[in-house]
Amino acid sequence: MGVGATHIDHVVIRSSDSAATAAHFERLLGVPIRRTMTRPGTGAHLAFMKLREVILEFAGPGQPEAGEPRAQLAGIVLCVRDIHEAVRSLRELGYPVGEPHPAVQPGAMIATVKGGTHGVPFALIQYGAIPEKEES
Amino acid sequence: MRLKRIDHVGIVVRDLETALATYERNFGLRRDPNRGGELPALGIRNAFIPVGNSDLEFIQPLTDEGPVANFAKERGEGQFLLSLEVEDLSAAVEELRAKGYRVSDPNNGIAFVSPKSAHGVNLQLIERR
Repeated sequence: MGVGATHIDHVVIRSSDSAATAAHFERLLGVPIRRTMTRPGTGAHLAFMKLREVILEFAGPGQPEAGEPRAQLAGIVLCVRDIHEAVRSLRELGYPVGEPHPAVQPGAMIATVKGGTHGVPFALIQYGAIPEKEES
Repeated sequence: MRLKRIDHVGIVVRDLETALATYERNFGLRRDPNRGGELPALGIRNAFIPVGNSDLEFIQPLTDEGPVANFAKERGEGQFLLSLEVEDLSAAVEELRAKGYRVSDPNNGIAFVSPKSAHGVNLQLIERR
């Protein structure tokens, strides 16, 4: 039983100004920002850095809020072997889990666990879950 | 500063055994029986669940005072701290202070970056021996 987690894939840091917080952590930790993007649909600003296999994701509104940036730890994403099986397992236990959908990481699918995790926003991600399109 | 990895994510919970039961039974994770316990000097008890090369640390406050108790009072349960393993803690503290960041003195292989220097995030630096 369980979700078949292999490792912590993401730790999310939510900020009122995610670009500023990402740049601040880049200087603080000496780790480069690898990618920035706007999340399709929500317009949220995302920035990513990587420490070995774990991604630090900085997430914030598309338009930074006024004032000094305020950030907090705001989520953990576990990498799983089979996202559909993991979602099925949690739903059987009564967890409210969103439908797996394509993640911002190419080829990956992600599903959000919406409660029952002791105050920690959790999501599950599986890489290689979406087959690459064959070239014609 | 030579960062090696994310060592652990600290999670404040109201009741340690309840939280561990949730993550063990429902998520299929397993606590490390050789680490954790009651730390009266810190007013907490804790336990670690390894996930890949990092851990989830579950922390229950045992008193009404201190950073963990204050977090629990203000926010309830949730992510409290991000711990980063560094190659050389003294060198890391020295380097960060030279850049103007506020960092505590190393103590038992651990130092804390002031949240004021991290946009409000609790960051711990740890050197494993």
